[in-house]
Amino acid sequence: MGRSLKKGPFVDEKLMLKVIKQGQLGTKDPIKTWARRCTIVPEFVGYTFLVHNGKMFHKVFVTEEMVGHKLGEFSITRTFRGHSGSK
Amino acid sequence: MPRIVGTDVPNNKCVWIALTYIHGIGRFSAAKIIKELGIEPEIHAGKLTEDEVSKIAQIIDRDYVVEGQLRRQVSQNIARLRDIGCYRGLRHRRGMPVRGQQTQSNARTRKGKKKTVAGKRGVKELR
Repeated sequence: MGRSLKKGPFVDEKLMLKVIKQGQLGTKDPIKTWARRCTIVPEFVGYTFLVHNGKMFHKVFVTEEMVGHKLGEFSITRTFRGHSGSK
Repeated sequence: MPRIVGTDVPNNKCVWIALTYIHGIGRFSAAKIIKELGIEPEIHAGKLTEDEVSKIAQIIDRDYVVEGQLRRQVSQNIARLRDIGCYRGLRHRRGMPVRGQQTQSNARTRKGKKKTVAGKRGVKELR
């Protein structure tokens, strides 16, 4: 089920603050974050995030097309190295 | 006989059902179109007057995305997911189920025909 429209998209507040701060400073450093559940909003476009996947941080450069997805969707959590038989 | 939007030729069925032969029109939207025009849903498609046929075509043109255009839209959406490298896109690239279904067993629609692996032990042999 989708999220109620009344609430609007979920955006991690601290992350949002960091983005705004960078916007004021004019820098675009990668932002380290654990907030995988945070929706990507138009303000994030052009910034790089380091999204935690439980083990390490994946570099995610946000483009316009990613708006509406969650940060976690771009940082995979599983490693699949193939089955034993297929070498 | 009646040609509605492109090459669709639904025939000798009730209009209501015949309309569902158009890609993008299901039973729900077909019933809605018929109701809007006040046509008897049970009438056979071949017996529609030209006027009614053109009216149906008009409504579909106005309200619905159908056939080639719809197919293009769907594949574009998938291509977008692939390009941005999100989880759903990765699943599309791999030909695996996209919506979190289990893959230990089944999932044959997406994974295709079984690929038998030589020397793989079954559950029974392991015991």
